[in-house]
Amino acid sequence: MPERKPRKAPRTVKTVFVIEADDNVGTAVGEELIRKGDTVTTAGRVTDVTLKALADIPYGHKIALRPIRKGQPVIKYGLSIGTATANIKAGDHVHIHNVESNRGRGDLTAKGKVKT
Amino acid sequence: MTEFYGYVRPDGSVGIRNHILILSGTVYANKLCAHVANLIWGAIAIEHPLGRTQVKPDLRMTRRFLSGTASNPNVGGVVVVDHFQELGCTAEDIAADIAPTGKPVMTVNIRRSGGLIAATEKATRYAMEIARQLSDQRRQPVPLSSLIFGMNCGTSDTTSGLASNPATGYCSDRIIAEGGRSIMAETTEWMGAEVWLTSKAVSQEVADKIMAGVADMEARALASGEDIRGSQPTGDNILGGLTTIEEKSMGACKKAGSSPIVDYLDIAMPPGKTPGLYVMYGPGHGAESISSIAAAGAQVLVFSTGGGHTVSHPIMPTIKVTGHRESWELMKDTMELDVSGILRGEITIEQGGQMIFDEVLATCNGRLTKSEILKDDNSFAIHRVGISI
Repeated sequence: MPERKPRKAPRTVKTVFVIEADDNVGTAVGEELIRKGDTVTTAGRVTDVTLKALADIPYGHKIALRPIRKGQPVIKYGLSIGTATANIKAGDHVHIHNVESNRGRGDLTAKGKVKT
Repeated sequence: MTEFYGYVRPDGSVGIRNHILILSGTVYANKLCAHVANLIWGAIAIEHPLGRTQVKPDLRMTRRFLSGTASNPNVGGVVVVDHFQELGCTAEDIAADIAPTGKPVMTVNIRRSGGLIAATEKATRYAMEIARQLSDQRRQPVPLSSLIFGMNCGTSDTTSGLASNPATGYCSDRIIAEGGRSIMAETTEWMGAEVWLTSKAVSQEVADKIMAGVADMEARALASGEDIRGSQPTGDNILGGLTTIEEKSMGACKKAGSSPIVDYLDIAMPPGKTPGLYVMYGPGHGAESISSIAAAGAQVLVFSTGGGHTVSHPIMPTIKVTGHRESWELMKDTMELDVSGILRGEITIEQGGQMIFDEVLATCNGRLTKSEILKDDNSFAIHRVGISI
């Protein structure tokens, strides 16, 4: 029997916190920072997701648990906290560069594009 | 049925403390009140910079806060002191507001007493007589339904909405399930979470009142010439990972737990008799917010914080909880609970909520908060709705 080559271990396994079952983002609140390439698992309401971080995720920031298409809601606390402004891949950093608020958009009302 | 040992007042309300309050009616009676409180065992002074030359709505707000605080069941008896006469907010006016509670109330006017030294003597004698009466009172077993539970958050960060706020909400649900009432204030932090909040309202009427409250607070912010939403989330919040105002407000509103909202209250007004969650109009200012909740009659408050806190009300024990391990290590001198295990997956939100519930119950039975032990009662503040003139 040929000797089995040991599988390469992931760099590090880190955990993100998920507050509601239908959330599509998790929050990095572990004591070690998540680095690009780390294997990430989930704690909280969702415990069965494993993914690879596609970027560094600073403490308190969010990571996508599954793909979120441009125009789709970002769900945290089981509710929309904003809309994706770009296609987001599972493992991407989710923040102001790819999410916009739907509230208090005086800029849009000023342009006559009321967003509600 | 859960019970705790409390002081039953003549009106049937239940205190978890038995303080003698030396209540200053006006800024010019503050130090007299502080001196008397230093002389008398079990006395606490309430001092503040108001009670004079306020526009009428603002003066009425001051009276509401002072009378409400003295009427709180944690206060066993009151000495109210004023210096001359402020129409609409005299020591007699405040005493008349407190009278329906049936607790002993005495008034002292500095001028009519013949000056500061004579008034100090009079207030000290009154306080001593009340202290003798209160020392005869014993704690009795009462149902948990006697409790009005206050909730507030402050110096929030990403851990607040994920750990300490939902755990506080779980504790609130437990208390409501036993027939108690909870109050959540801070209207500023409902902005962006109104749809979720109003979905919890028991009626369209309550939902409409919540929406009107948010619109009013927003209008006040706009009247200042600053758009509150232009800076929400703040730069700090964004650095900490909060992306939108919706996310920030949703975190704050997690204190509401899963109970329906039975009514909306104006600031510092007592809730009705129906058990359940009440939301109260008020600012995000921590000391004003918890003082409004104490003036509404809450006997105990849980303050959920990310960064750690010293906030503590003079007569309403203020239990401080964080979900941030580093904040706990830095600020545990004035904090009771660390629920950061929720974020490490070591405990569930329910288990964290149970820790808070157990701490609330122990505090109701007489366990002192760290801030009470350290006499760090720093957080009495009156909300202002007008100017000094």
